[in-house]
Amino acid sequence: MRIGMFFREALRSIRANAAISVAATVTALIAVFILGAFIPSFMYVRSAVDAQKAKVDVDVYIADTATVPQVNALRDKLDGLRTDGTVAAVTYVSKDDALRIMRERLRDPSVLDELPSNPLPAKFNVQPTDAEDADVIVAAVKDDPALDTTEGIVYPEATADRLLTAAKFVQWAGLVLIGILLLAAVLLIGNTIRLSIFARRREVEVMRLVGATNWFIRWPFMIEGVICGLVGAAAAVVMLWGIKVGVVDAWASGADTALTKTGSAAGTITFPLLTVVLVGAGALLGAVGSGITLRRFLKV
Amino acid sequence: MRDGPVGGRPTFTLVQVPEAPPSEEEMAPIFSTPVQDGKRREGDIFRPGPGPMVELRGVIKTYDGNSRGLAGVSLQIDTGEFVFLVGPSGSGKSTFIRLIIRELRPTSGAVIVGGRDLGELRRSKVPYLRRAIGCVFQDFRLLPDRTAAENVAYALQVTGHSQKEVRRRVPEILSLVGLDGMFDRLPRELSGGEQQRVSIARALVNHPRLRIADEPTGNLDPETSLGIMELLLRINRTGTTVLVATHDQHMVDHMQMRVIALDEGRLVRDEESAGYHEEPGEAMA
Repeated sequence: MRIGMFFREALRSIRANAAISVAATVTALIAVFILGAFIPSFMYVRSAVDAQKAKVDVDVYIADTATVPQVNALRDKLDGLRTDGTVAAVTYVSKDDALRIMRERLRDPSVLDELPSNPLPAKFNVQPTDAEDADVIVAAVKDDPALDTTEGIVYPEATADRLLTAAKFVQWAGLVLIGILLLAAVLLIGNTIRLSIFARRREVEVMRLVGATNWFIRWPFMIEGVICGLVGAAAAVVMLWGIKVGVVDAWASGADTALTKTGSAAGTITFPLLTVVLVGAGALLGAVGSGITLRRFLKV
Repeated sequence: MRDGPVGGRPTFTLVQVPEAPPSEEEMAPIFSTPVQDGKRREGDIFRPGPGPMVELRGVIKTYDGNSRGLAGVSLQIDTGEFVFLVGPSGSGKSTFIRLIIRELRPTSGAVIVGGRDLGELRRSKVPYLRRAIGCVFQDFRLLPDRTAAENVAYALQVTGHSQKEVRRRVPEILSLVGLDGMFDRLPRELSGGEQQRVSIARALVNHPRLRIADEPTGNLDPETSLGIMELLLRINRTGTTVLVATHDQHMVDHMQMRVIALDEGRLVRDEESAGYHEEPGEAMA
């Protein structure tokens, strides 16, 4: 019963201050739109970095002279790292496998036929759970007797370090940017609602003089803010959907054919989930914006 | 009280109630105030008991700058009294009223309403104080985007009355103040006198213990003024305390009630059954 009344009051207020309500809605639209464009981009970049991180693997080459027990000991060591979670996967690549891979890579494999014997060492290809753990794996096996003395351990140290720095940067910059965006949106909506309340401060004063409690006055304004936030968010979602279908999807399918081998690993937030997040953000922006603003007007 | 010097007038009913004065049954919506039974209503913050309804102890109110509101006023208004507050413009009448509804706080001294020291009243309790006081403001203070009926309904909704009760009581009280047929008009579509009556209806609809009117007859024709005074008087007879600030000399002389006179923020006269001006004979005494 009360909820219904507060809703009627909110709708009355929106009608009475149509221009200001439209301004608040447009503010919410812009804020949510920017947020909605930013979140998937941020998540795409992050996932692309993660995909690159997943490619940081460690090759542990095995000496041709290593005995079977020595190789088994090395395998056990790596399996041990897998059970404690440092290593995600260990693949054994035999000398024959290595040669076959080499043959596939070469444009003219006939040069290999000239070789008197197979010069390629066998190796364990080790996939770290986290790229940052590559150092741990290297440290664990670097003095192993089964290690090939010339090849040793190979992993893309510089790439890994650069990727890790990039990943951290993307993560923090993204969070800071989202924070600033949300803050700006709250302030903007708060400001707009303040106009609405300022236009009606005499009314609020009268309400207080006939004995309305602060919450009784506040609820309709909060609902007004939430409605503006929701409508703005809905409009932003529709616009984002248009851009996704019309621009991004078309571009992405074009990109996929050009970069077939790298593009597939990185993903981003799904549109329905994004919609839920944005609509929630819109409602929250409206409520918080009007809630903060009202505090100052209800003191007398 | 009807047998006063202006008894020559045919009726004191409100202009829009043409036939007879409203019956007691019709007045029921504003007369059912439980004043004497000592029962506390929901949300009622007044302390039950025999004490005065309003008490001021050495109240000084100065505004920013040097302008004076009140300059040391002490007085009591007992439960069930009918009191006129008189004095020229700027004498402190409005300050007095705004202190009682705690729109203002005194610079020093204490304001006690219904046994509550307003200086100690928490901010969150102020709305409940205001519900217990029905106040008719000089400038009406109606909500401009609401019809007459919605303005009155708001005072009921604030106190949590059901929609059903609102629908029952609002037309009753608006008819009572003579606004039949104008329920759906916005304040700007009403005359000053009609707006005033909406304001009065709003102040009455919650059955407050204390009814305050600031210049309730300010812009009204004499007949309507008398109608409103008659209404306030009848409400007072049920035990409700009534405080009327006015400079309607004719009205005060006619009613012969207690008169509290302020001048430049000071209490200059407090007299039972008096007129607007001091009697020349008494001034000598």
